[in-house]
Amino acid sequence: MGLGLVESGKMPAPLTKLLNLSRKYSLWVYQWGLACCAIEMGAAFGSPRYDVMRLGVIPLPASPRQADLVVISGTVTDKMAPAIRRLWEQMPDPKYVISMGSCANCGGPYWDSYSVTKGIDQIIPVDVYVPGCPPRPEALLEGVVLLQERIQNEDMAARWTGEPIVVE
Amino acid sequence: MTAVTDRQKLQYITARAADARVNVELETEGMTLNIGPQHPATHGTLRIVARLDGEQVIAAEPVAGYMHRGYEKIAEVRTYAQVTTLVNRIDWLGSFANEVPFILAAERLMEVEAPPRAMWIRTILFEMSRIANLILFLGDMGVQLGAITPVFFAFRDREYVLDQIERVTGGRFHPNFDRIGGVKDDLPKGWLEDTKAVMEKVRSFCDEIEDLLMGSEVFQQRTRGIGIIPPDVALQYGLSGANARASGIDWDLRRDNCIGLAYPEVDWKVWTHPDGDSFARFWVRLQEVREASRIIDQLADGVPSGPIMAKVPRIIKVPAGEAWISTENPLGEMGYYVVSQGDLTPFRLKIRSASFNNISITPWLLRGVYVPDIVTILASLYFILGDIDR
Amino acid sequence: MADEQTDTADPAGDAEEPAAAPVDENRNVIVESFREHLGDAVVDAEVQPGQDVWVRVRSDAWRNAAEVARNALGARYFCFLSVIDWLPSPYGRSMDASVDLELARLAGEEPAPPSTELAHGVAGGETQFQLLARVADVGTPGGFWGVTLKADVDDSLTIDSWVPVYAGADWHEREAWEMFGVTFAGHPGLRHMYLPSDFEGHPMRKRFPLLARMVKPWPGIVDVEPMPGEDDAGDAAGDADGSGTTSEEAES
Repeated sequence: MGLGLVESGKMPAPLTKLLNLSRKYSLWVYQWGLACCAIEMGAAFGSPRYDVMRLGVIPLPASPRQADLVVISGTVTDKMAPAIRRLWEQMPDPKYVISMGSCANCGGPYWDSYSVTKGIDQIIPVDVYVPGCPPRPEALLEGVVLLQERIQNEDMAARWTGEPIVVE
Repeated sequence: MTAVTDRQKLQYITARAADARVNVELETEGMTLNIGPQHPATHGTLRIVARLDGEQVIAAEPVAGYMHRGYEKIAEVRTYAQVTTLVNRIDWLGSFANEVPFILAAERLMEVEAPPRAMWIRTILFEMSRIANLILFLGDMGVQLGAITPVFFAFRDREYVLDQIERVTGGRFHPNFDRIGGVKDDLPKGWLEDTKAVMEKVRSFCDEIEDLLMGSEVFQQRTRGIGIIPPDVALQYGLSGANARASGIDWDLRRDNCIGLAYPEVDWKVWTHPDGDSFARFWVRLQEVREASRIIDQLADGVPSGPIMAKVPRIIKVPAGEAWISTENPLGEMGYYVVSQGDLTPFRLKIRSASFNNISITPWLLRGVYVPDIVTILASLYFILGDIDR
Repeated sequence: MADEQTDTADPAGDAEEPAAAPVDENRNVIVESFREHLGDAVVDAEVQPGQDVWVRVRSDAWRNAAEVARNALGARYFCFLSVIDWLPSPYGRSMDASVDLELARLAGEEPAPPSTELAHGVAGGETQFQLLARVADVGTPGGFWGVTLKADVDDSLTIDSWVPVYAGADWHEREAWEMFGVTFAGHPGLRHMYLPSDFEGHPMRKRFPLLARMVKPWPGIVDVEPMPGEDDAGDAAGDADGSGTTSEEAES
């Protein structure tokens, strides 16, 4: 089935459901680890105790160009922000962003610093915010599960237009 | 400078000659290789710009600052109690160790001394954060050489250490547990016995790494004789910690200038290695993890009873003065120069972090090495980005 | 630990007493050696017995002091180099956000005008900016010592670089140049260390404002947590104080 069917918005509902089901259990995650959270992300994705692969998340893409999901974990500085924007632009649609940790959410403990970007939602749209400083690996897994719920229920056509979905 | 053997010199000259021949044949031109700012081999967001001639680095320049959070400025607008929350996040793998020198400096200015029990708890947690930090190095060094498995072992055994830290402090990562005048809480019941069991696991992890990774011929070939730092150069650049000890400098602040911690009470050894190459740095850190587990074992046997907090005022105003305290952190010498003018906040806080100096040697060190060795040399220098950029 | 539970009210334990002895021979010798080699270029020095030693030199003798420390005294280990801006800090005394000031004005309190006098620290000083560096002698067993060197930076904001003496000073001077705007004569390449190259201003100067703080009250001043081991009444009071804390993250 071509992308034309999806873009036309005439996708039959059962087919959408089936496609969403398969999409949500094959999320290729690009790990954009920046600071302390990167280690917790490493623990969630790389350590045997948390084992993210049982959720159908594959943390090993070679490049953002073949990733569905990027986890921005850690402090984003103004010097780093353009690189993150460029990374996000390189990812193919439909793309999802998890913002992990207080720094990526809102600046965190560096809320008054002169060099830290106060929240990556200023530069890219975010699907799931994971709070904590740093969040425990379980919290990141919870964020992944929430994202999967969102993917299950979403309208693919809406996603394909490139419009960010509104986060409540 | 006895570190370089004749065999290594010969290898080096042969390789240079072969390289020159290939360059002539392929008509290679100079090129600039940009690694980072986000690259798996750079432990975070260090960017390295290397000018190459064929396979060889002519000049390499690390570009830092992608993680600069302005600690020294925002510490001026935080109370002393809040600064510990901040400094936790400098070297995020050994968080507790970052708090200790700052608290000691503030205590010196306030002329407060922590009671012995608090001192011992501090020392135990200090060493545990060293283990939590260096275990990841031992596993990660394998990844840089293409061995994936050790890092899974490292994450597995690191969890046990983090569990113990969490049981005392409530935080896996950033304990924020040290207070001016003592520590926040007492040890939970049965913690010391469990810690000793975890130390057994840590030691068996070290044995595993020694057999699996360090004993491997591939590992030795990729690290021996690579990235040699002579002791003179190491001192000039201010290398400290295991990097300095791997160059044969017999210096450890825990032994030579121990302030406010319980190291003189235990029997332990400072390990040095004469070679100064990547292998030596790995080897010294491996021994240090073992030594740290032995220190914790001994300390756990003799934690004194008593209070865990000295009398300090509710609202902490540190008297005017200046103090410099440094301790032997997992990455090297970490120190704080605290200038106080009697206010709620430090007037100026200079943070001397170990990785900043450790990595400032890279332009000197990477000159003339081959591209694949950049990764192993950087991995063996072992830096944390937060510790460079602050 | 025989003295446990005796008197915890006295913070100075037994271990303090020998350190508090008024004379520190080893550190006095360090100061004397600096005076011997540098003559009257040593402006001031201070020894805190058992703790630390400071030597302040004239700014034209800054590199000379490094050479003496390294070559004559054997302090081959370069620890750090930085700058202090002695302009009085607006922070930490009372309130610093404009919202706070507004609230205070409504409540009828007029905050004291900030002092403009430079209050220098150990070993004195005359100028707004002061260089600060630490070197040490390491690796000689039992002979570990370190010294903090200081020098005033005059209004030209230029001083000799240490790079020819300690190669490791390179990055530290780049950082000092970026953060404070102090130029180091003879440095191989002063360029940005941390900040993007289009960043304006020198953030570590006291005059550099933190813009986020201008519009938001400082949450820290009421952040008082109860001490462990304090009685219940104290805990309750601490909680009452703590409940007024504004969460930093909730507002961002």
